[in-house]
Amino acid sequence: MQDFEYHRPKSAAAAVEALCSGEARVLAGGTDLIPQLREGRRLARHLVDLKRIPELTAIVALPGGAISIGAAATLTSIAQHPSIAAHYPSIAQSARLVGSLQVQNRASLGGNICNAAPSADAVPPLICHEARATIAGRSGQREMAVGELFRGPGRTLLEADELLTAIILPPPPTRSAARYLRFTPRREMDIAIAGAGVWLSLDTRGSVAAARIVLASVGPTPMRAHAAEAALLGEQPSKALLIEAGRIAAGESQPISDTRGSADYRRELVSVLTKRALSDCCVQLKAEGAIA
Amino acid sequence: MRMMITCTVNGEERTVLADTRDTLLGFLRERLGFTGTKEGCGNGNCGTCTVLMDGAAVNACLVLAQEASESEIVTIEGIADGDKLHPIQEALVAHGGTQCGFCTPGIVISAKALLDSNPDPSEAEIRHAVAGNLCRCTGYGKIVEAIAAAAAQRR
Amino acid sequence: MDKLGRPSSDEAPRLEVLGKPLPRIDARERVTGEAVYPADLMRPGMVQAKIKRSPHAHAIIKRIDTTRADALPGVVATVTAADFPELPIGTMIPMGETGYDMWMVAQINMARRKVHWVGQPIAAVAAVDPHVAEAALALIDVEYELLPTVPHLGVAMAPDAPVLHEHVFTKGVEPRPRAPSNVCSRTVISRGDATGALKNATATASVSVAVDTAHQGYLEPQVVLAEVDANGFATVWASTQGQFTTELMVGRMLDLPLSKLKVVPLEIGGGFGGKIAIHGEAVAVRLAQKCRRPVKLVFTREEVLQGGSGPAAGALIDIAVGADTDGKLTAIEGTYRVDAGGLPGMSPSLMMQASAALYQCPHLNLVGYDIVTNKPRTEAYRGPGGIQVAFAMEQAMDALSQKLGVDPLEFRKRNASVTGSTMPIGTPFPAIGLTTILECIGEHACWRDPLPEGRFPRGRGLALGYWRGTSMTSAAHITISGDGRPMITMGAVDISGTRTTMAQVVAEEFGLPLGDVHIQTADSKSAGYSDPAAGSRVARTTTAALVEASADALQQLRVRAALRLQCSPADLVYSSGRFSSRLAAGTSITLAELMQATLTEGAIVGRGTSSNLPLGVEIGAHVCDVEVDTDTGQVTVLRYTAFQDVGLALNPMAVEGQIEGSVVQGLGWALTEGFDYDADGRLRNASLLDYRLPTALDVPTIDAVIIETPVPGVPYGVRGVGEVPIVPVAGAVANAIARATGTRVWQMPMTPERVLNALRGRG
Ligand SMILES: Cc1cc2nc3c(=O)[nH]c(=O)nc-3n(C[C@H](O)[C@H](O)[C@H](O)COP(=O)(O)OP(=O)(O)OC[C@H]3O[C@@H](n4cnc5c(N)ncnc54)[C@H](O)[C@@H]3O)c2cc1C
Ligand code: FES
Ligand code: FES
Repeated sequence: MQDFEYHRPKSAAAAVEALCSGEARVLAGGTDLIPQLREGRRLARHLVDLKRIPELTAIVALPGGAISIGAAATLTSIAQHPSIAAHYPSIAQSARLVGSLQVQNRASLGGNICNAAPSADAVPPLICHEARATIAGRSGQREMAVGELFRGPGRTLLEADELLTAIILPPPPTRSAARYLRFTPRREMDIAIAGAGVWLSLDTRGSVAAARIVLASVGPTPMRAHAAEAALLGEQPSKALLIEAGRIAAGESQPISDTRGSADYRRELVSVLTKRALSDCCVQLKAEGAIA
Repeated sequence: MRMMITCTVNGEERTVLADTRDTLLGFLRERLGFTGTKEGCGNGNCGTCTVLMDGAAVNACLVLAQEASESEIVTIEGIADGDKLHPIQEALVAHGGTQCGFCTPGIVISAKALLDSNPDPSEAEIRHAVAGNLCRCTGYGKIVEAIAAAAAQRR
Repeated sequence: MDKLGRPSSDEAPRLEVLGKPLPRIDARERVTGEAVYPADLMRPGMVQAKIKRSPHAHAIIKRIDTTRADALPGVVATVTAADFPELPIGTMIPMGETGYDMWMVAQINMARRKVHWVGQPIAAVAAVDPHVAEAALALIDVEYELLPTVPHLGVAMAPDAPVLHEHVFTKGVEPRPRAPSNVCSRTVISRGDATGALKNATATASVSVAVDTAHQGYLEPQVVLAEVDANGFATVWASTQGQFTTELMVGRMLDLPLSKLKVVPLEIGGGFGGKIAIHGEAVAVRLAQKCRRPVKLVFTREEVLQGGSGPAAGALIDIAVGADTDGKLTAIEGTYRVDAGGLPGMSPSLMMQASAALYQCPHLNLVGYDIVTNKPRTEAYRGPGGIQVAFAMEQAMDALSQKLGVDPLEFRKRNASVTGSTMPIGTPFPAIGLTTILECIGEHACWRDPLPEGRFPRGRGLALGYWRGTSMTSAAHITISGDGRPMITMGAVDISGTRTTMAQVVAEEFGLPLGDVHIQTADSKSAGYSDPAAGSRVARTTTAALVEASADALQQLRVRAALRLQCSPADLVYSSGRFSSRLAAGTSITLAELMQATLTEGAIVGRGTSSNLPLGVEIGAHVCDVEVDTDTGQVTVLRYTAFQDVGLALNPMAVEGQIEGSVVQGLGWALTEGFDYDADGRLRNASLLDYRLPTALDVPTIDAVIIETPVPGVPYGVRGVGEVPIVPVAGAVANAIARATGTRVWQMPMTPERVLNALRGRG
């Protein structure tokens, strides 16, 4: 392991400054980064720890019903947050899927995003909810959709001097539901062979007004299944429709074969998981009285 | 590089010279001699290195020693009260929940974190709480039984 | 039950300490973290070693140059094969029934001239800290000439396959082959005319299975600490299943007389067969000799998985079975191709026998092959080969019972081996309790309860398992302390609660409470030679040695007591720590009084050894309920019950612990654990994230049902316990899947993807 200097800034601005030291990396929970540094898969001469920066670990309600999650907030604090559990259950549940409780007690949402693994479990439900990322860097702040951050496995659009500061969850519209499901051979402590996050919103007649489907582990980045979404629009949810949407999503996915699963198996899982997640959404909406 | 690290371990403040690259696990074991915490994988996959850091169970192999500076760490050595074992420890002894013992310190810590926040866990909750702690010897049944018994005893 | 294994009668003394579910006497230090494993030991001036390993699966080592590493500040020693005497092929050391070939042990520890798997050691360094040692590895220059890789059995057996070892000619084929081969041996076990009987059978079934190489998965990686003193005397603190075997191996590898070497076995964080052979112990000693500082060598998990240790063999197995109109078995035919890894393994004879042992069958033809491939040399894992062969055989038997339309339990009852029936090798079975087990299953809720409905198809599977185990030799002695208490020193390493059960044996023999007995595992200089803790032998043979040692000590005490009490030894009765005169009421002396009075007259040492103890064959039968998600292929184990004949449960809690742990290991291999090698022989899942041991959420609580059929002629009638409970597991799960879905899965582990492929009729 290459030697490095450790920084513990007290503010986001100080963190940005430390990031300008050259060959610097953000250290959040370290659950991805520390093994990567040890195995030489990533290199860093400066590590900038975000965990002691209050503004980056806070979860706050914004006016108008949105919620801002500090990028370094732990997955445990997200899963346990009452408003997130009540209004964004798919996000709370996805936080509970990552590794083990020990991992969740360290790992951050920002780390799950910025590590940019196609298998990142917390990302699909964020994209489903149209979460936005706020980014701070030497040249100031910018904001973009979480779904637009990814360039490829392990690569994001962030510049070397930039850090993700918060994830903003817009208030979910009524008559909508979201669900993320992943498949792993073990119940926990495992990485998704495939995952599907879905978000469904119905009009007053019970037809699909909007849908978002985001797939994990079946492409170089988390990916939208646009054709499957389109197939749902305007339709009344039926078993056949959900199966069809799953089938289309499987066709859109671009999986590779590796030790965790073959491309064919992954496609099959996409179809099953998409269908099941959609059907879970329908069950939630039925409970709300949004579907007859 | 060498540097001094100060943190509280099992209630005692310690200041020790360490390598900048030391993990909390290496720091506890090699520099402070708290060898009850084990290294089964070094990658967050087995839970044998579980310690409490500011009250939360974490994998010490995934934490840099420097990150622990100014933190409160509790290791397996800090669980019993002198000769009086913690009820979780008592129950693991009585129910045959330890065999080779390599996973045991981590299991004790995870179980303590569970019972500290949930005094009356179901079997499913107990299994979930130790899912990050692999055990290769017991098949888990006697561990789960022991944690349930410890919870009942503490209530 | 009395101590000769006779059923208890009114006259036979009742057991006071044995047979009780007592907590381990060494449990407290485990739950407090005080138990000392070798990695926990520190010595003044200690340095850290690391091993440089081959990145190639098959290559000639043209050149190794450590000059640059030696020059790195902080490096104190480097070694390569040139630092060890070269041992010719076939240099044997004694161990159990077959011995160990030191040429192979040497290859496992330090490759010479050629590498045969990724991860094989080629050099080692010792440095002042692990960071420097790590950096030094990169400075060792190695030049390889690459050879074509033999990544699996299919390639190994092809006629034009690249040959791993020029000196290996298939054994067991006549005439002796003229060309070297990757097939190291052919073994045949045969009686009658199996082919003919299959042709004439009313019903037949056949299966062909493929089992992946898997790992024992002990949580403690290999580790050793070695120190050499000013006289050249080496001390090795090891995580080993056998301190004497380690001593022989290290001594031979270094040409070190055993008067200059001591192996101290510390706590062992699991072994399961994988810590019998050495993996770096001799290397650490050699480094310590060179730098004259204590050397600690700790493997990383990746090293353990990627070629640094010996996993369990994969196999391709074909089984065909046939029965007559009465549902009686008439023929078993089997072909067993076993993947030994990079060096020749053992004859598959034991696993072949195990697969067929529990069935009475007139016609038998089993043919086994031991085959080398460019993977790590495999080693033992809990009943080596047992789970692999039972995965095939128990599926074949289940399929046959389906064809016959007979209930699978009834089919087993009709064909089960009984005491006295012929074993595959032709000798009669000693006392076995298989019939009792099968009766017991029939009455048990796990078999009688209807399967509750689920979201997906559910099924119940049954499978049997047999393991022969071994006896080999064990030694122990008992000294009597100044206060009259027995102090045991045994040659057995404790991998399964041995200290507790053996202290129970001596407490029982002396009629004392458990707390009055002290017990320790000896280092290799403090007890007589004992074979490793393996083969389900330790509890049985050490019990025998300790019964003998107790009698010896008590006899010496009796003579002394008689002198003190001025009577004849024959007039004394011993009970619960006191000798009393049969003739003069009130004349008696306690062991404490006796030792206080006579301590300076010399030590009392009771000695015991056990060798050639009758085998304590192990038999189990498992019932398993599963649910199969037919969309994803995921199998959920809902309920699992393991029945086992243990002779006498010395400590029922320890016995249950062995069974439950073993079953969960079996479930791991059955469902999620398999080594995944690429075409270049590189392991693709060399981490505990992708090599998936079951977590607490993946398995139900295992129910163990203990049955006791004592082994005649063995103290307390004890049987082996630890190996057979892994044997039936994959077969039971596969049969449950087949009953649930109508589909047989032929690949193990039965990962979700493979199950789904089988359900879809693919692959
Ligand atoms: C045993 C184990 C199991 C796991 N299982 C899962 C799983 O099931 N599902 C899953 O999705 N993941 C899993 N992971 C991966 C990992 O835990 C998650 O991706 C986690 O969310 C990463 O967060 P972190 O805070 O630890 O990130 P870190 O390791 O601290 O950082 C990860 C990367 O993101 C960068 N980074 C972090 N925060 C920021 C920021 N605010 N701004 C800019 N860059 C940043 C870092 O520089 C680094 O490159 C597992 C890991 C382990 C060890
Ligand atoms: S050693 Fe930390 S999780 Fe395995
Ligand atoms: S007791 Fe050995 S790993 Fe748990």
